[in-house]
Amino acid sequence: MQPLQLFDLAFRQNEWLAQRQSVISQNVANANTPGYKARDVERFEDAMRKAVPMAVTNPDHFSPAGDGLVQARDNDPNQAEVLVSGNDVSLEQEFLKSGEVMRGYSMNTQIMRTFSGMLRSVTKG
Amino acid sequence: MSDPLIASTRSAASGLFAQSSRMRVVSENIANASTTGKTPGADPYQRKTISFQSVMDENAGADLVQVDKISHDETPFETQYMPGNAAADSNGMVKMPNVNMLVELADMREASRSYTANTQVIKQVRELVSMTIDLMRST
Repeated sequence: MQPLQLFDLAFRQNEWLAQRQSVISQNVANANTPGYKARDVERFEDAMRKAVPMAVTNPDHFSPAGDGLVQARDNDPNQAEVLVSGNDVSLEQEFLKSGEVMRGYSMNTQIMRTFSGMLRSVTKG
Repeated sequence: MSDPLIASTRSAASGLFAQSSRMRVVSENIANASTTGKTPGADPYQRKTISFQSVMDENAGADLVQVDKISHDETPFETQYMPGNAAADSNGMVKMPNVNMLVELADMREASRSYTANTQVIKQVRELVSMTIDLMRST
């Protein structure tokens, strides 16, 4: 067992959340741009599955596209209303997502803080 | 690749700039809502419109928003009977600017709503960054 895997996982998720926040900001900034389509990042689970590399038992095996990268994808077109200008950004939706990011980020930093406190109390004796 | 949180701040800042340019155009239109021509039969102030475009910024690694172009509204001018005006033609008719106050006010509302949304994003990003910094402080 790797004792510090927890930090790695929390850090990875924070990185993913920051990426998501960046895409949200782009959507909000482009809320009045004609023809702009709102985007979102792929789910954390999917990104993690890609980041953990698959075993290669045959030289013909190749890794899936976008290996280990968090990629932005277009929003589900059925979810949002498209305006006459071709823009489908909904500010309410974006702030809902932003709230999720805040919650997740805050939880991760709290977990990291708690565990570093535990480690500290062990090392201090 | 640059830090995504810094990229967020950049996109939000570009949004702020774009929306304030829009606000400027709206205020120009309102200020000139009754600016007529100077010579008989001359065209009055023509309403300005603004449009945005999304630009990929390589340095920031994010889609920023930019003012695409500021153009003129081609709606025909309405005429009003004002024989005393310098721009009155031989029949005493003066061409009035094609500015509609209601449209301008609606536009102003939307611009200020989008501006607030962008400032909100900046606030939230700042909070995320300070969460990370607090983590270091407690250790």
